[in-house]
Amino acid sequence: MHPSRTVSRRSLLASAAALAILATTADGRNISGNLPWSPFAGDPPKPVNPLGWYFFTPGEAATVEAIADRLIPADHLSPGGKDSGCAVYIDRQLAGSFGQASRLYTKGPFAKGLSTQGYQGDLTPAGRYRLGLRALADYTHATYKKDFVALTPAQQDVVLAGLDGGAIILKLKPGFSTKEFFELVLQGTMEGFFADPLYGGNKNMASWKMIGFPGARYDYRDHIDKHNVPYPRGPVSIYSAEG
Amino acid sequence: MSSSLISRSGSRLRSLMAFATVALLTASPAFAASNAGKYQAVLGDCEGCHGKNLAGGVALETPFGKLVTPNITPDRETGIGTYSLEDFRKAMTQGVGPGGKLLYPAMPYPYYARMRDGDIAVLWSYIRSVKPVKQAQNVNQLRFPFNIRFAMHGWNLLYFQPTALAPDSAKSAVWNRGRYLVEGAAHCGACHAPKNFLGADKPVLTGGLLQGWYAPDLTGNKVSGIGNWSGDDIVDYLKTGRNAHSIASGPMADVVENSTMNMAGGDLVAIATYLADLPPSGGPGGGVDRRDMQLQAGARVYRMNCAACHGLDGKGSAIFPPLAGNANVTQALADTAARMVVAGSKAVATPAAPTGPAMPSFAWKLDDAQVANVLTYIRNNWGNSAPAVEAAVVERVRAEK
Repeated sequence: MHPSRTVSRRSLLASAAALAILATTADGRNISGNLPWSPFAGDPPKPVNPLGWYFFTPGEAATVEAIADRLIPADHLSPGGKDSGCAVYIDRQLAGSFGQASRLYTKGPFAKGLSTQGYQGDLTPAGRYRLGLRALADYTHATYKKDFVALTPAQQDVVLAGLDGGAIILKLKPGFSTKEFFELVLQGTMEGFFADPLYGGNKNMASWKMIGFPGARYDYRDHIDKHNVPYPRGPVSIYSAEG
Repeated sequence: MSSSLISRSGSRLRSLMAFATVALLTASPAFAASNAGKYQAVLGDCEGCHGKNLAGGVALETPFGKLVTPNITPDRETGIGTYSLEDFRKAMTQGVGPGGKLLYPAMPYPYYARMRDGDIAVLWSYIRSVKPVKQAQNVNQLRFPFNIRFAMHGWNLLYFQPTALAPDSAKSAVWNRGRYLVEGAAHCGACHAPKNFLGADKPVLTGGLLQGWYAPDLTGNKVSGIGNWSGDDIVDYLKTGRNAHSIASGPMADVVENSTMNMAGGDLVAIATYLADLPPSGGPGGGVDRRDMQLQAGARVYRMNCAACHGLDGKGSAIFPPLAGNANVTQALADTAARMVVAGSKAVATPAAPTGPAMPSFAWKLDDAQVANVLTYIRNNWGNSAPAVEAAVVERVRAEK
């Protein structure tokens, strides 16, 4: 059998049959006439509790905060990644549905995907963070005899550039490269910096103020004809009742 | 080939026979009476309280406790199948059941008392013709002392005046027909009239609080009433559930769906003629100072949460109702407006206006003070004028969640 041919004709037919059986027993609902409606309905996103850590150990949290502060250093434009709450955002995501990959199929068989198809292994995002942060601690201890947080900012930049550029190879799992770990943390940090504050990051909507994004406003008709005039109103979040 | 011909001619024969049966039925006086009676049931909105199959079971929350509507199908044990026409007439017009059992005036007999004998007789033919449903209802769940039916004797003595409406010769026949419907079968005042402390309707349609909704002023007041509506506007509203000023939702959505939508065009014109002639009420009683802090805060809430659909100018759009000049938001009591913001609202969908747009609930986002502020702003902007709203009103609505 050819090694790449992991899905046989027989298993394809078997899974198609299984799908047909599942589909007939699936719980469906027909809606005709009026759309259903009930009073007090609503499924708003729940604002995260800003205190404590839900997934990270204190050591992991400190490391992620230090990384976020190098990826987004505090300057005259905005506070840094740590003070913006990026690590809080990532922690809450990893403790929730995203961290458990709850909407993804994570069992085998594992094929090698294209780079555009993302991670193909059995680790959840939470598992990848845990593995990556442990391997990073192992690396900094082997190289500097220190935690990442104890390195100077210049040393931290060298390590991060190494993770990104291929100069440093951490001991991870096959199918999960060091560069993928770096990109996972970079992605989470950017999301935490720019997402709605209700998710734990973007404290005081600092990033939105920096780029002039007015946030979750949804009516600009009083401004739409004012060409080349900056929008005068500050940002609002999903939970801002006034603005 | 030939067999298909036979079966085709066979089906033609069957449909001919069916047609003949229908023709026979429609020609019979009983069918005609029951058909005219069905229209009386539409005018009286029997389904609104007794359910689509008239078997009752609809709970009415009153200030005196809960009433569950009885089964009025012709079932002999659990319905009213043992009633005679005379029993039915007494229940409709005097609030007295067989054996002298007193009805509660949640059954709008003070209004039905004005119905003509002929209309009640055809309604009875219709009620006799519906499918009997065996379903007992535990009607009286009122608190003491209101659960004692005998007490209704006193209530009737005080408030029940079973007088037929003498035609007003100074007014047109259309106006008189409108009054007969509004003050009779259609019992508009059951919701739209203010209540006294024992729940009796005052004889004006200036608005009333019922089951947590404030049924608006129907008089010619230009702020809180329908003084800015044309006769066509009123007809459109009752026929389609919406017009340029407002959209029916809440209990009125049910009334449109079960009753007014199916009324004859002439009767809608008659109702519109009568309502448009009602003298203006005193209005909601004064507005709010422009510098009021509630107004300022409410303007910020409005811009964030309401303006996208209802517009910064309060004019709404083809789908969303205007708030400027919308009497629903300028009633003396803001319970209905508070309910729409906190619980959301769904417009009625009718064949003429089938969309039935809904307003989402803002309970998750706005606290009681913010809702009170934005309502105060809406009630006092774009020419609207009504008293400020207190957070306690909003709290009361939210407590029902």
